[in-house]
Amino acid sequence: MWKKVFALLLTTAMTISLAACGSGNAASASDDAPAPADTAAEAPASSDSAVADTAVSDEPSSDSSAPAGELSYTTLNLDDYKDFTASIKYVHHKTDREEDGTMAGMIAKFNEEFPNITVTTEGVTDYAEDALLRLSSGDWGDIMHIPAVDKSDLSTYFMPLDTLDNLSQQLNFVSSWSYDGKCYGIPYMANAQGVLYNKKVFADAGITALPKTPDEFLADLQLIKDNTDAIPLYTNFAAGWTMGAWDAYIGIVSNGDDTYMNQKLVHTTEPFSDPGDNTGAYNIYRILYDACKNGLIEDDYTTTDWEGCKGMLNRGEIGTMVLGSWAYAQMQEADSHPEDVGYMPFPMSVGGTQYVSAGGDYNYGINVNASDENKTAALIFVKWMTEKSDWCYNEGGYTVVKGGKNPDMYSAFDGCEVLSDQDAIAGEETLLNDMNAESELSINAGGNDKVQRIVVAGATGSEEFADIMADWNSRWQDAQDELGVEVKY
Amino acid sequence: MKKKRTIGEWARSRDGQKFFVITAFMIVPLVLLFTFTYLPFGEMVGYSFFNMKYVGARKFVGWKNYIKVFQRDDCFKALKLSLYYMAGSVVQLLLSLYLATILSFKVKMGGLFKGLMFFPFLINGIAIGFIFKFFYTRGFVFDTVLQWCGFRLDSLPYWLRDQKINNWSLVGTSVWRYFGQNMVLFIGAIMSVDNELYEAAMLDGANRFQQFLYIILPGIKTIIVLNVILSITGSLSAFEPPYVITDGANGTGTYFVIMHEIAHTQQKVGLASAMAVVLLIIIMIATLLQKLFFKYVFRSAEDEDKRASLKRERRLARYGSEKGGNTL
Repeated sequence: MWKKVFALLLTTAMTISLAACGSGNAASASDDAPAPADTAAEAPASSDSAVADTAVSDEPSSDSSAPAGELSYTTLNLDDYKDFTASIKYVHHKTDREEDGTMAGMIAKFNEEFPNITVTTEGVTDYAEDALLRLSSGDWGDIMHIPAVDKSDLSTYFMPLDTLDNLSQQLNFVSSWSYDGKCYGIPYMANAQGVLYNKKVFADAGITALPKTPDEFLADLQLIKDNTDAIPLYTNFAAGWTMGAWDAYIGIVSNGDDTYMNQKLVHTTEPFSDPGDNTGAYNIYRILYDACKNGLIEDDYTTTDWEGCKGMLNRGEIGTMVLGSWAYAQMQEADSHPEDVGYMPFPMSVGGTQYVSAGGDYNYGINVNASDENKTAALIFVKWMTEKSDWCYNEGGYTVVKGGKNPDMYSAFDGCEVLSDQDAIAGEETLLNDMNAESELSINAGGNDKVQRIVVAGATGSEEFADIMADWNSRWQDAQDELGVEVKY
Repeated sequence: MKKKRTIGEWARSRDGQKFFVITAFMIVPLVLLFTFTYLPFGEMVGYSFFNMKYVGARKFVGWKNYIKVFQRDDCFKALKLSLYYMAGSVVQLLLSLYLATILSFKVKMGGLFKGLMFFPFLINGIAIGFIFKFFYTRGFVFDTVLQWCGFRLDSLPYWLRDQKINNWSLVGTSVWRYFGQNMVLFIGAIMSVDNELYEAAMLDGANRFQQFLYIILPGIKTIIVLNVILSITGSLSAFEPPYVITDGANGTGTYFVIMHEIAHTQQKVGLASAMAVVLLIIIMIATLLQKLFFKYVFRSAEDEDKRASLKRERRLARYGSEKGGNTL
């Protein structure tokens, strides 16, 4: 008898380990499966992840006024330094631009204006880790793209470029590497959150002006459905992460408040309630629900294909897709009609203004331990790169210089207010992550299934939209209770 | 009467040597088994009592995670989906048993058929997922084939979108993948049945079906039981088809997919561990029930328990005496 029991236990153990093997395989496959997600995340994530890793501490930085006190970005006049002589080294992550000669071309142009400043460049693969190692060694050159360091450590490694007040009057997105009122980094380019659309489909459908509100957008989708053969809104349901991309709009885009996402959201008691004026997260997701309900999405959303959709948008088989600006270039390259691919701000207006959420990519930072003349030369170089190299423009980035020219893809963004999310309040850096995990809503953190639920509910009518939002609100409140988060808004 | 030995003597004796040799051979696999199976499992059971993420502080919460597993509606609703996969595994076993029986007799190009039907098992599960995603896409492979057969596209369902049918679609992929493997195992077992038995049965006038029922089936019952247990366990822990094909969305999230979501996206490691332990217990109970069931179904003369043989003898005796009485 005992033999049998033992045999049974052994069988069970073996079957379970078999089952475990099975799941193990599948889990490792999960790395492969949503592969596009990685590429997708890379572009916009670089600045976010850097922000997330920084901890703001309250201790005042003693040397905040820096050795080169007089040297500052805004007061530096490039024309005064035409004959300046120095030799500087620039370490960056754009290995592709190093290899295809773009970097050398920019340096050559720089040397036409500043013939006596020699710039050597080095593109580093595996930049995020390698740069941190070099930073700690101290001997890395004069300019580098700032890796993920703690903000309180910025002054140990980098020279303050200017005060945040001065700099933010001339440049966008400079707050992400600022500390104690001083700014240590300037992004080489920036990404924005909007909506991809096909210009030809819009024209064929008879849409003359780009939509500015959810209702206009839904009406336009209906026009596309009625007047063309294109799919009005392609959800990319099956890929999963493409659904989670909708979360990127519930901050600045939905309320025009750059402190909302990282500071206020965790303290908001009902983030998913309808504010009643066609704004807020409620109405962002309502667009999706209504589009699904009215049959304005692809016929069979469960078998969508991410690689295939790029060409479909390019050829005019898809009207719109809700994705960040990083996707624009991929859509253009996917087939033979790059001129038809367009990019527009998210169709939501807060008090009559359309807000765009944007964020800087990697930032230029200047070595605080470099010699004074190298610092000057480095600042000249950074200023020239930012204002005169057109690098950001050529990369399809949103302009870093205020009022600077944008690539054509952003032509619809004129007149929009462009903001980037403020950092979390000191001491609450991990609170949003904790709330995301506890509520299982995972906003901007892989909460794809919650957005998929909207599509299924809209398409099948299994749930009312207001009920889903009420459920999310109650989950958010439960999480606040569980974690003891103070409710302020 | 054993004489007392010192430890040294014992170690040099046959018994002692036997012990050392066995231990030496066993120690490597046992250490591996312990380190890579039981130790992590023990750790996981430990985690299930904590509120924790992969990094950061953990908080002891006692049985709270287990209570949550039973309170959350998504956990046990997901377990209901296993019923689809269990039904699928029954179909799968019957199909493979049927094909194995046919193929174990002389069939033209039997080897080719065996190879073709075993082939899906050799393909990577993720690849199968991608294959079937296109297979089921509206107007793609499956719909085209059905249209050749005369179906109109309008009357066909959306294989993955329609919630009434999408789980069956996923089960279909799983059956397609595994029936070949079951079949090969069955063929192997059937081959080991003594050929003379068929000959004897044929002399007695048994047809193919009777041969199957009375010779093959009892002959391969061990492998059948093993396959059934593996299939039912596999049904409870179905993961690859829903994860790869539908991402667990649209009502196809099985227990494992939900567990994966909770453990990796939501990072509720404690809760996911508790779910794993609960599933383990469910699987153990299911296995035990199956064991008991098969013990009852496949009773045979050799391992009959004593009461049954007593009963039979008594019955024979009574029959004999009745018969005797009648003739008298």
